[in-house]
Amino acid sequence: MADRQTSSPQLAARTPAQELLDALGPITGFHDSSSLGAFGMPSGAMTEDMLASAATATVATRFGPLEKVHAFWFAGMSCDGCSVAVTGATNPSVESMMLGAHPGLPRVILHHPVLNMESGPHYLRPAEEAIEGTLDAPYVVILEGSIADEVVAHASGGYWSATGEEPWGADGELRPVSSTEWVARLAPNAAAMIAIGTCATWGGVPSAAGNPTGAMSLMDFLGKDYRSVLGVPVVNVPGCPPIGDNFTETVAAVLYFLQGFGPLPEFDELGRPAWLFGETVHRRCVRGAYYEEGTFAHEFGDPECLVEIGCWGPVVNCNITSRGAIKGLGGCMNAGGACIGCTMPGFPDKFTPFYKRPPGSLASTTVSRLVGSVIRPLRKFSNDNLNREVRWDRQGASPSAFSREKTEPSALADVGHKFYDKMRRAGDTARNDADVWGKRPDEAPSGGSPRIRS
Amino acid sequence: MCFKTLPVEFDDRGRATLRGGIPNPYDVTIAKPDVGMDETERRERIERLVARNGHIKDLNMDPVTRIAGALAVHVTADLDKGQYLDSHSQATLFRGYEVILMGRDPRDAIFVSSRACGVCGGVHAHCAAYAIEQAMGIKPPPLGTVVRNMTEAAEMGYDNPLHLYLLAGPDYSESVIRSSNPELWPKAESWACPNVDIHGFRTMAELMTALNPLTGSLYREGLEFTRLSREMVVILTGKYPHPQNVVPGGVSTTLTLQSLNEYHSKLGKIFDYAQRMLAVWDDIPAFFYEADERYQYVGHRPTNHIDPGYWDDPYAYDATYENCNAWGEKRWSTPGVVLDGKLVTTRLTDINIGLEEFVEHSYYEESQTSRFPTDPLGNPISPYHPWNKRTLPMPGARDWKEKYTWSTAPRWDRQVVEAGCYSRLLISALAQKTPTSDFISSTGSSMRLLIPKGERGEREVEWHVPERWNAFERNRGRAYHYLFSQLVGLESLFEAYKLFKQGERKVAALNPEELEKAIPQDERVSVGWWGAGRGWLTHHLVMDKGKITNYQIVTPSTINASPRDPWGQPGPYEEAVMNTPIIEDLSDPAGFTSIDMLRAIRSFDPCMPCTTHAHTGAGEIVREVNTCSCGGD
Repeated sequence: MADRQTSSPQLAARTPAQELLDALGPITGFHDSSSLGAFGMPSGAMTEDMLASAATATVATRFGPLEKVHAFWFAGMSCDGCSVAVTGATNPSVESMMLGAHPGLPRVILHHPVLNMESGPHYLRPAEEAIEGTLDAPYVVILEGSIADEVVAHASGGYWSATGEEPWGADGELRPVSSTEWVARLAPNAAAMIAIGTCATWGGVPSAAGNPTGAMSLMDFLGKDYRSVLGVPVVNVPGCPPIGDNFTETVAAVLYFLQGFGPLPEFDELGRPAWLFGETVHRRCVRGAYYEEGTFAHEFGDPECLVEIGCWGPVVNCNITSRGAIKGLGGCMNAGGACIGCTMPGFPDKFTPFYKRPPGSLASTTVSRLVGSVIRPLRKFSNDNLNREVRWDRQGASPSAFSREKTEPSALADVGHKFYDKMRRAGDTARNDADVWGKRPDEAPSGGSPRIRS
Repeated sequence: MCFKTLPVEFDDRGRATLRGGIPNPYDVTIAKPDVGMDETERRERIERLVARNGHIKDLNMDPVTRIAGALAVHVTADLDKGQYLDSHSQATLFRGYEVILMGRDPRDAIFVSSRACGVCGGVHAHCAAYAIEQAMGIKPPPLGTVVRNMTEAAEMGYDNPLHLYLLAGPDYSESVIRSSNPELWPKAESWACPNVDIHGFRTMAELMTALNPLTGSLYREGLEFTRLSREMVVILTGKYPHPQNVVPGGVSTTLTLQSLNEYHSKLGKIFDYAQRMLAVWDDIPAFFYEADERYQYVGHRPTNHIDPGYWDDPYAYDATYENCNAWGEKRWSTPGVVLDGKLVTTRLTDINIGLEEFVEHSYYEESQTSRFPTDPLGNPISPYHPWNKRTLPMPGARDWKEKYTWSTAPRWDRQVVEAGCYSRLLISALAQKTPTSDFISSTGSSMRLLIPKGERGEREVEWHVPERWNAFERNRGRAYHYLFSQLVGLESLFEAYKLFKQGERKVAALNPEELEKAIPQDERVSVGWWGAGRGWLTHHLVMDKGKITNYQIVTPSTINASPRDPWGQPGPYEEAVMNTPIIEDLSDPAGFTSIDMLRAIRSFDPCMPCTTHAHTGAGEIVREVNTCSCGGD
């Protein structure tokens, strides 16, 4: 098993997906849908049909060529955390996509094991149709969780991760079908293959060192030559879990494009949405300025930059500090959590042990401490000045009861501040010599008390 | 004397010892639970049934949707008698988290094990932290524990409504009732809801329409409230479901008055909603019980529950195994075991030493060892105890008589116990040990909960121990647990304010450098006792020379989805399905949807990538443990 894990990435001739299909052999048929009855269909209808009347737009309000798309959500070696994150999304929300309530988007027929009404073979019927080529609309496949190396489990007659049964065993017997197998059979005719979360995008924790399952990413499984019917390689929305909005926004962006009004969404060299993962998370971190000033947290809970207590933010592609985790709230470092690189292909093994400063930070924090030791006192000096009303400067005292103990600026600071003000007002056109004739000539000069009039 | 099967007795000082003179006292052929009918009797019974009626259906349902993860349950259904004769529960996913953790630095356990579950990853992160703290002797400062309690209350705040409205709720919705139980619809249309003043639905039919998936107002409101609670979580943790703020010895949250106030303001909106939620989930069982009393047996099981308690007393919790019985009983939710409705213990040591995990019918090799004959206090533990068990995965073909699931069979005192968030209410109600609170009190047979005033007036509600555990009571219990958890959130928030007032800001015991130095080099065993949205959660840790040498996780769904044990006792899902009468309209056998089974299974809130197989056929072995009074042969 270990051999397969170390050698499979180098297999140029056959992708792991092809290897698996070779091992499983061809399929002969599907469930006999006429004999299924109502079993597993307590509402008497498929979710798609139940929602159709509420979700279908007329031609008049349809924005583009697509009326609907199917989205098959498969869970591989998954914790369901991506599903949970996506149900929290609001830009757009999953319910608005399913109900056709997001103007411009086609109706998304989501086949999701956590949301659908139908169970059992009925639930899998649309996936069977997709493999048969009889599905009534284009489809995308969304994979949550890593791909297990089912060749290994299959060899001993079992599976690591199964979704449903199909009559694909010897003599048409029912056998559990792995999510890996579904993905391999659906990929060739999919409009897009989308990996959600770090397990599906890069293997994630199930593929960490010491794993017994040979877990891998969707990219590794399908190989570098994979293209969807639209010519698109695997799209990757990483994160453990991903930000829900990052995923729904990516799906929406692809659909905006296909509907004809959106720009072609840009993906980076690893298939990530470039507008979401193009920056390091440190660049828009709320604590980034502490780094700039060379001040760092030492205790858990400290408000400063977290690099020295184990934050990898400066070298991690992610947008959680600016987007937040849900509805703009949260974000790891915003709340005090050090970045452990959960969006990255190197996660987790290139970031462990956790709670330990990245070795590379030694050089950069030393430099920022040096720079910070100059910048901080200068900023403090200006900040002190700006924390005073102009009136207090004139009166030579601040009346705040909170600051009773606060000393007035020293004579030296006073000179400094006056000099600073002079620099600031250099080029201020208010100092030009024009007659201000629009007010009384004896009006108070700038900053003075108004005259009492009778 | 809480054990009746295991050969464990207690001396005057309450210390456990093995009863003398028994060779191999933990052998499965020596200490045997009373399982009622033996195998031959069961086989004869099913043969009799099969001979008498030919309408036993052979069906497969795979996957079952609207649960988290992958589960399969195989059942034998007799459509003439309206009975599920047999059932096997299968977890169809293995990822090897325990295996991945072994050999690592203990500092990796929190963020790696968090990924075991994405519905409630925070609970695993916390549970791992408790295990590490016990092994390393690190006691978190009070504010650290308080932030954990606030986080975990908010996590329940999105977990419970997600289940009630997105997963279970549609089974009681208009769309399902009119299709699967058309006989109930006219009744629903004329049945006036007793709680109309609170939730606003005049008739049950209106309420059921609001439960419709995606379009119903209760479904949508439930989804929106899960988002509110997720917001509360991420204010403290940075993200969800895997938090980024849990550290050994506390949390790394930068807590300010702003974070407290934001949490506070969001929590304040929840109490009005909780009143509506209780009103809905009180009216649903009332309607169904009145419509057909057989609904009392849908998902029925005896009252056997286990829970290690939840939400620590920030001053009592000292991270030691030695004092765990003292600090355990001070948790907001009392630890304990209930067998046949009787509370048998509230001591964490008893809960721990009675625990065993069997793999007879699971895709693992037998793995028991005698590495640790006792716990750190000298109490005897079994070779099947998590500290002695290893995880040796072995995928193989499915065989009902041999191996058929990735779940193991955890048992306590070799009895089949159930885990659930509602188990917290049950044990806390019976034990009467809940901390003093203006909002939460335990009466010995009920929990009294005071809902603070929001836009709606304040109100006292009471959850009573149900006469009969079934699907409806699990869902009702989950609704009350939602309120219970939010009140714990409120109490914890006030504790945080109080600590702030005292000038307390420390949220973790050690800084990262001290943490690295604190990793012990000798061999240590420890256990994190915690809870999840579905109840029980433990992480058993063994470390040596500073690295993890064994890691065993027992989740509530491992317990509930467990297969047969070595004595043929079915797991909780299996037993609940077998006790479920088939009440749906069977006038046309092709219209059989198996909704009653689905209600039974979903009421546990299964959390695993799961499927349910319903399979029937002559010659299947029926294992019946509890005869349902409305069934019978």
